Amino acid sequence: MVFENTGFYFREALLSFRRSTLMSIAAILSATTILLIVGVFLLISINLNLFLENLESQLEIVVYLEDNISKAELSTLSNNFNSIDGIKEVKFVSKEEAYQRLSKDLGEQKDILSAIETNPLPASFEVQIKDPKVIEQIANQITEFKKVEEVEYGREIAEKLLNFTYIFRSAGILVLALLVFASILIISNIIKITVYTRRNEIEIMSLVGATSWFVKWPFIIEGFLQGFISSLLSTVILYYFYFFAITKVHQAIPFLPLVVDNVDLLPVGIIIVLLGSLVGILGSMFSVGKYLNV
Amino acid sequence: MIRMFHVYKNYPHKIQALRDINIHIKKGEFVFLIGPTGAGKSTFLKLIYRGIVPTKGQVIVDGINIARLKPGYIPYLRRNIGIVFQDFKLLYDRTVYENISFGLKAIGATNYEIRQQVKKVLNLVGLEHKRKTKPHLLSGGEQQKLCIARAIANEPLILLTDEPTGNLDPYNSWEIMKLLFHINIRGTTVVMASHDKLMVDKAKKRVLRVERGRIIEDTQRGIY
Repeated sequence: MVFENTGFYFREALLSFRRSTLMSIAAILSATTILLIVGVFLLISINLNLFLENLESQLEIVVYLEDNISKAELSTLSNNFNSIDGIKEVKFVSKEEAYQRLSKDLGEQKDILSAIETNPLPASFEVQIKDPKVIEQIANQITEFKKVEEVEYGREIAEKLLNFTYIFRSAGILVLALLVFASILIISNIIKITVYTRRNEIEIMSLVGATSWFVKWPFIIEGFLQGFISSLLSTVILYYFYFFAITKVHQAIPFLPLVVDNVDLLPVGIIIVLLGSLVGILGSMFSVGKYLNV
Repeated sequence: MIRMFHVYKNYPHKIQALRDINIHIKKGEFVFLIGPTGAGKSTFLKLIYRGIVPTKGQVIVDGINIARLKPGYIPYLRRNIGIVFQDFKLLYDRTVYENISFGLKAIGATNYEIRQQVKKVLNLVGLEHKRKTKPHLLSGGEQQKLCIARAIANEPLILLTDEPTGNLDPYNSWEIMKLLFHINIRGTTVVMASHDKLMVDKAKKRVLRVERGRIIEDTQRGIY
């Protein structure tokens, strides 16, 4: 039955679009606006997420070594790092390199260093880790190694950052859920109005003996088309708006990390299209159901 | 064709629309349902096409107990019942032809069957020349004829009409009556709720008089 009448259902859906053009346009524009809001929020979220990931990736463990470390001990230590899970990269900083970095950091005040006869700075390893949540655990493991004088990883900052990102991500999910819920309510209400204007048709179909699916299909297709067109429209608007906006942001704050890759932006488009289409389909299905019980 | 056994229908706020209705309408009969407004005539018709279910009692239509009918089977019951409403219930954004073909498509008729059937019923009601006209350009009588054409397009066993002449002048009313008699002669059972004394008296058919939810009179060849 479904496939037999597919052509009829599509014709009916398109006819309805044509018969109530203004109503359909109003519905599409309203849904587009709601989806735009969801989209803007999603774009802000993915960029903030990138920013937080960036901050997290800057968390590292600095392992200061004893001055009397031999070359053999150094290579054993280096091998030991490889045996720990969760370490991304290990970089050795010799005493000389540390001295040069300090003098560079001091800039014009580097003359202070000339007051010191020997190089007081220890050699160190800079350890980058994959998951910032296990930073404390790894730091503790490293402390156990021989010839390690001190391990530093900015414990308080790390904890604060991790707490902040956790709260921020949870709040983001909550706000997103609320926005999605609101958009479902609003879009399905818009569809309810379009269905309401055609309740006579639904009643008549039902009275002449049409099955409920026969009545529902054209509305489902129409709802899907409205949702789909709205989501496409909002995706296109978002796309152009986004690249315009990030160019401006980039000019103002050049070092801010921003999502610019189309592949990374694709999920936002997919979410919006799925949301628009699904709500269109389900909204019309339930609204028609209400007028079918005659 | 239609049987009711001790049927009661109550609406919210303790409104008793029908009380202890026992009736048997045979296949091919023509029955008038008369009585004042609010007597329960429309409720009676709604029970037959399962627009509502009885509060108590049994309604059997063509061997089917409508109270026990699962919602999924209601459309199939209605395919055997044509309904004509006083307020027409036409689709005003579709042509005469489309108003009829729409219903036939809904019950799964092929395009060929639809063309044949629409032509046939439009000829029968005399609207063949207006097949491309939109209903709002038709007169009241013509709109009612279109309703009848739609109701009989799938050749139902039963035709229910709710005050079909209610809004028409005597001439057009009689035209509609003749059409209904014609349909009845071809074997369709017709139940017509009516206020139209003139038509009822002229027709000399079975009359069920309903008052305050009860059938108080059932006469063959009755008058209003």
